[in-house]
Amino acid sequence: MKKNIVIKLENVWKIYKMGEVKVPALQGINLIIREDEFVAIMGPSGSGKSTMMNMIGCLDVPTRGAIYLDNQNIAHLSESDLAQIRGKRIGFIFQQFNLINTLTALENVMLPMIFQNKQREERIKKASELLELVDLSDRLHHKPTELSGGQQQRVAIARALANDPEVILADEPTGNLDSKSGHKFMDFLKDFNRKQGKTIIVVTHDKMVASHAQRIELLRDGRIIRTIKNH
Amino acid sequence: MITELLKYSVSNLWKRKLRSFLSILSILIGITAIFVLVSFGQGIEKFVNDFAQKQGIDKLMMMPGGFGPPGTSNIKFTEEDINFIRKINGVDEITGWMGKNGKVKFKDYKEKYTLILGLSTDREEARLVEEIATIEIEKGRNLKDGDVLKAVLGHNYLIPNKLFKKAISVGDKIEINDMPVEVVGFYGEVGNPQDDSQAYLSYDGFKEIFKEDTFEYVAIRAAPDQNPAQLADKIKERFREHRNQKKGEEDFTIQTFEQAIETFTSVILIINGVLVLIALISIVVAAVNIANTMYTSILERTQEIGIMKSIGARNRFILFVFIIEAGLLGIIGGIFGVLFGYIIAKFGGFTAAYFDLSMLRPYFPWWLIIGCLAFAFFTGAGSGLLPARQASKLNPVDALRYE
Repeated sequence: MKKNIVIKLENVWKIYKMGEVKVPALQGINLIIREDEFVAIMGPSGSGKSTMMNMIGCLDVPTRGAIYLDNQNIAHLSESDLAQIRGKRIGFIFQQFNLINTLTALENVMLPMIFQNKQREERIKKASELLELVDLSDRLHHKPTELSGGQQQRVAIARALANDPEVILADEPTGNLDSKSGHKFMDFLKDFNRKQGKTIIVVTHDKMVASHAQRIELLRDGRIIRTIKNH
Repeated sequence: MITELLKYSVSNLWKRKLRSFLSILSILIGITAIFVLVSFGQGIEKFVNDFAQKQGIDKLMMMPGGFGPPGTSNIKFTEEDINFIRKINGVDEITGWMGKNGKVKFKDYKEKYTLILGLSTDREEARLVEEIATIEIEKGRNLKDGDVLKAVLGHNYLIPNKLFKKAISVGDKIEINDMPVEVVGFYGEVGNPQDDSQAYLSYDGFKEIFKEDTFEYVAIRAAPDQNPAQLADKIKERFREHRNQKKGEEDFTIQTFEQAIETFTSVILIINGVLVLIALISIVVAAVNIANTMYTSILERTQEIGIMKSIGARNRFILFVFIIEAGLLGIIGGIFGVLFGYIIAKFGGFTAAYFDLSMLRPYFPWWLIIGCLAFAFFTGAGSGLLPARQASKLNPVDALRYE
């Protein structure tokens, strides 16, 4: 029996206007991602990777086509509705970690829960648990600037998991890490995929990273040119 | 959520200490100025109201129409005038003041020039004068029938080094316009240096020294069943006819005491209002300054805004963050502004009291404090409104990419 569809892209186009010139970043993407999957979207720079990640992550809406998140088309939602969906269903991990430097590790992890109006006690409990899960229980009250790159990226994982999202979306997550931290990070990610059944989508140009995925979608010039199954 | 929001805002303001401090300073200055000015304005109004309350509202004052300090007008009232008005129905009591600038000399000290008044020694009439001028005998006795070269002096003559090197006491001899006069009493403090330096004679004494018997002011007490304002109109009409003057061309004015005080207060309050307006300009400058600070801060934190949006912050949350930050700048400026304003006003009040201007005593009603704080907060939050709107509408993709 096939698992439920989490994300479906149907003939998605994204066209940017640079003055008079129209630049198509995505040209008719069709993609289905199911529960529990670990998918890598791979391609060189300029292939439309980032645009695709913005679409899947509900950070932006397509020029044409439909994006279904749990069977809800998000192509025409307002920015505040999109924000709400992002906060609840998608956990982001960025190349630059993107933690808030004025807040401690614990507060950074609590932040997405604040946006979902969770109670304070619940937020503290959950955030502490998540940081323990990524081996940072001794760094709860450190600011990001007091942590190493690998530690910051692990805070970012904890933050991504804060609202129990269906999907974790990672954009070049190891791009700013040395290879040891990069491997450790990917192990954590695989763990969450296997043990907790999280759907994971990684956008990358790095073969090592992509090799952890069950499926690799190769992107070039805004089109999916090949799908590789890893098993 | 509010606690986190506040904590986050405070840590952001703290991170940009110098800039926050300068914004706070700019609003602080405006609030300090407004607080000081309004507290003095309120003090004056309170002083005048208390004054009016003490005097009651059943009194009318009649003055020569020409405007000028007492003792300088050409138009005077005569005893005949007073007797005419006394007969008008509704007039309960009437008395006149004689007044002229004169020279007071005590022993060999340098002479002083001050207003010398001639008052009635009739008991009822004297009471009317005392009520209006808020004077009361502090030492010695009041003037009485038969007193000619006898005087009662203002409070300041009791204080050494104030008018004369030595204090004057009851029974001392002084000279008024070179005539020897015996001091029989002193009035208590009125609260302004002019009144407290005056000398008072009986009508007979005044006539003896100045060879004049006309009146500078006339005070009237309305009968209990009379409306003072209507009585004023009636007296004005009758007295105009009596003097053969056309309406609008009278050479005298008559006002209820309330009106007289209002005229006096309104001049002071207009001056005060103009000063407050000037202070408001500094608040406008502060608002522009805060808006500028917020715009800069949003530019610096564009990426942070993108991050918050990507992990689920709605536009409304971003809007709140920046409005609260701007509001915090405002309220902090407000708190210190009120604090400094209080200290400055108190200090100003003490200084004024030292120079005998006890009328300039600041008054701090609770609404002034609350009002200044609220005004500071809303000025801050209001200046943050436009920048915050801009921040909340940022597109998350562009904001994340911004460097």
